[in-house]
Amino acid sequence: MIEFSGLSKTYGSFRALAPLNLSVPRGEMFGFLGPNGAGKTTTIRMMMGILVPSGGEVRIAGFDCHREGPDVKRRVGYLPDSPIFYDYLRGREIIQFIGEMHGLSGAESHARTGQLMAEFGLEEVSEEYAVNYSMGMKKKLGLACALIHRPSVLILDEPTNGLDPRASRDVQQRLRRSADEGMTIFLSTHILDMAERLCSRIGIIHHGELVATGSPQALKEEVTAGGTLEEVFLAVTEESSSA
Amino acid sequence: MSSLGAVASGAIAPLRAIWLLTALRMLRVGNMLSAGYHRRRALGRGRAAPLRQATSGKRRNRWIFSSIVGIFMLAIYGNIARQSFINLHGVLDHVGRVRHAAPTGALSEAMLRGLSMEFSLLLFVAFLGALASRELSQPDWDLEWLATLPIRTPLLLWSRIIERSVATPIGLLTMLPTNTMLAWICGYRWSAVLVGVGASLPLLMLAAVARTLIDTGLRMSLSAAKLRNLQAALSIVSVIMLYVVASLGIMSPMAFLLDWARNFPGWASWLAPGLVVRAINAQQLSTQLLYAAALLAQVGVILCAGIGILTYQLRNGVVVSSSRETGRRPVAAHAVTPTTALRGLKRIVSVVQRRELRLLMRDRTFMVQTLVLPVVIVGSQIFFQGRIFNGSLAGASNSAVATLAFVIASYTLMMSAFQTLNAEGGSLWLLYTVPRSLESVLLEKARLWAVLTLIYPLAVFGIAVALKQRLDVEMIGLAAIVLLGVPIYTLIAVSLGIYGCDPLAQEAGAKLRPTFMYLYLMLAGLYTYAIYASLWSQRLVLIVLSGLLGLALWQKARDELPYLLDPAASPQSRVSTSDGIIAAMIFFVVQGVIAAIVIQTEQRLSGPALIVAYSMGGATAFGLLRYIYWRSKTQGVPRVWGTEVPKSLGVGAAAGIAAGALGVLYLFVLQRLGLQQELLRDGSPSILGDIWIPLLAVAAAPIFEEFIFRGLIFGGLRRSMGALPAILASAAVFAIVHPPVSVIPVFGLGVCAAIAYERSKILIAPMLAHALYNAAVLAYQSLT
Repeated sequence: MIEFSGLSKTYGSFRALAPLNLSVPRGEMFGFLGPNGAGKTTTIRMMMGILVPSGGEVRIAGFDCHREGPDVKRRVGYLPDSPIFYDYLRGREIIQFIGEMHGLSGAESHARTGQLMAEFGLEEVSEEYAVNYSMGMKKKLGLACALIHRPSVLILDEPTNGLDPRASRDVQQRLRRSADEGMTIFLSTHILDMAERLCSRIGIIHHGELVATGSPQALKEEVTAGGTLEEVFLAVTEESSSA
Repeated sequence: MSSLGAVASGAIAPLRAIWLLTALRMLRVGNMLSAGYHRRRALGRGRAAPLRQATSGKRRNRWIFSSIVGIFMLAIYGNIARQSFINLHGVLDHVGRVRHAAPTGALSEAMLRGLSMEFSLLLFVAFLGALASRELSQPDWDLEWLATLPIRTPLLLWSRIIERSVATPIGLLTMLPTNTMLAWICGYRWSAVLVGVGASLPLLMLAAVARTLIDTGLRMSLSAAKLRNLQAALSIVSVIMLYVVASLGIMSPMAFLLDWARNFPGWASWLAPGLVVRAINAQQLSTQLLYAAALLAQVGVILCAGIGILTYQLRNGVVVSSSRETGRRPVAAHAVTPTTALRGLKRIVSVVQRRELRLLMRDRTFMVQTLVLPVVIVGSQIFFQGRIFNGSLAGASNSAVATLAFVIASYTLMMSAFQTLNAEGGSLWLLYTVPRSLESVLLEKARLWAVLTLIYPLAVFGIAVALKQRLDVEMIGLAAIVLLGVPIYTLIAVSLGIYGCDPLAQEAGAKLRPTFMYLYLMLAGLYTYAIYASLWSQRLVLIVLSGLLGLALWQKARDELPYLLDPAASPQSRVSTSDGIIAAMIFFVVQGVIAAIVIQTEQRLSGPALIVAYSMGGATAFGLLRYIYWRSKTQGVPRVWGTEVPKSLGVGAAAGIAAGALGVLYLFVLQRLGLQQELLRDGSPSILGDIWIPLLAVAAAPIFEEFIFRGLIFGGLRRSMGALPAILASAAVFAIVHPPVSVIPVFGLGVCAAIAYERSKILIAPMLAHALYNAAVLAYQSLT
């Protein structure tokens, strides 16, 4: 479903992402882990056409993310790490706008908006301007925007970053439900226990390079002989930095 | 003994705190300015920091244009200042209206008072303009964060005032040129700039402290919604005040302003603005120092008092009320609000356009800036300058009415279409998540603004027709020109707005480069020539060129769209149609200016003078473009020579023979029909002349014109369309910029030359074709 073929990004002599080769099959929840500044957000932004790749390509459902953007976006829902919304629009208006931009009819978009706002517990603030929402509410609003058109792929950049434990649990449960419904999910995070709990496979990126890939269990056995995922993370990132 | 709880000994010294805070602010301002030009910053050991470049880096040659526009704006303000001094001198010193009689040497007491009045108004404008900025309606995160440092509030406030003194554009634009010009008039020459800067600083500090007092107080007492409304209202008042002051610098200022200057109270001229004037004007150093000391004392007292009041205002903390604005409103059942009414427009306007209208109705600042401010700006220009009308709209000429209509439309587009991308702000990421190209979304927004903007010229024409009680053919024609101009300049505004926007900039002021706003206004000003041109052929040329420029600029802007949110990358610089259009404009303007100067001095334009004018115009356009291409490492720059020169010369010769045959045939037909002399009367210069004309036609013209019309315009069009449409379009542009009598054969030449260039890929081929065509036509004319 998601295919990275030598995708890379450089800024002059600075290499933000080394050529990345990776496949994420349909229905998998893939966790993209790494320390701050490792290249997670850079990778995701190239998938969404926000950044232009320096080399290689990434395809989603067979469509090139850079050259066939609209075809990709019909199938993808995206949540950035710090969603910002318009000053003078209410939460429900923003979701409805995104729904209609994805081709839903007005009535369908309205119905879906109500459904999603109820699901994410945003009904009470539906008449407030989105700019006044707390961080948790903004993340939920962003997730609702990402889900309104029932995408087959979700791309999430640090979806629980800055959330309180309850809000974080709500988001994780929603992601679990989406994955159970067959959605392919590509999420970046540096919260290891969440990745271990939710993801069937993870990849660890460090200094722009993918240094480890596999299921959490397999990685724990291979790298640390049964240790924790945290130990795996520290081991692969420490070894890479000292190599 | 535990180290926990051990604190650093002693608090930071006050002066050091002020220095650090001010230096931090200045560093931030400097980084903001240099971020646009991506200069390398040397690290401590002399190594340069690596540039983050994905493709060609962010544009490095924009500083050229920004510098030109910046100097141009300073020159304009300086000229306004100079003219204001001349006007005041004429009235206050009773010398009458002598056009260039600026005061010199020691100024009279009446003049000192008059200038004190002017400087007081400038100070007020600097204060009001800064207060009316968007900062007023936004949370003061800066102060909130700095207030957490172990520094007393007064020190924070000192650094804030110092920063605001030097980093407020409206203050610098109003004070600096005026003080510098006064220093020049009072006898300073190359030190006038230094004196101007030194004299401006105390006044800018006064404006900064007044602004800080007022905006801090307002933030403490008003809700966010009220602050926005107030900011919208202040923006209107500040524009009007700016025009009031600027009107002193027109040829005939309003009588009430001159009365103010005449009756300005003597005591008021001993306040800070008056002391600045006296200090600059003082003829002896001791007197100067005395005035300077008095000025500094006054400013010092006001600053200290201001800091004291501010500290008192902030005694309970830097945040009093919440900055949240609720979208809740008690709405009665089944009530129709403006936004619910939008649902009824679903079939007419798109999703994007409905969202835009919703934002327009809710954001009063946006609404005022977009729909009200253009009318205020133009109205102020008319009221205070009175250039367009001598009386009412009923008595205005058709051209004046059309100009008014187009100017209001242009300003409206500047506030709306130009802001199309910038208005998305931090929410731009949302448009990357939908299955629509960013280009299509921006064009939809632009269409909405074009339609809304049309209301203004239609209203102006409607009112004029109603008052005049007649509608003539000329008015209809001019209305068509204006109404055609609106969609063209919508496209130009959107394109320049994209090009001038930096969505990644954190500071609101850095998101949109004013340089491109001024460029837009200059281009819009050029279009008004279409209203005043005496020949319809000239009008058509301008409309077609403007339309082509719009398409060309859109091509360039579209190239930028995929790189908007990339922090370091931009599209590889490539030759585009807009480069050719701009080069053609430079070519003809420079040539025209030189020719006009020659005609004014020598009363005629001789052959040698014409060749000089032509050559300089061509050389200027050619040289400037080549320099910019070299700096930007532009791809696709047209080459004169290449690998297959003999073959290219053959292609060029064939094209030249074909075009020349067409030209000769055209002349033959004209002669047989007896039309040649009649067409020549239509303002077209005769091509018959002395030896210099052939030199011009066979040597200079092919070199420069082929670079522009085939190399740049055809080459640029070829990027976006197939060979045939590009050939025809470039030939059409080539033809319409030539005299009407030669449009048909020149079009033929354009087609043949473009084909030669398409085949050979080097400019020597079309240059040869062009030279052969001109030689054939001249030879035929000299023989017959």
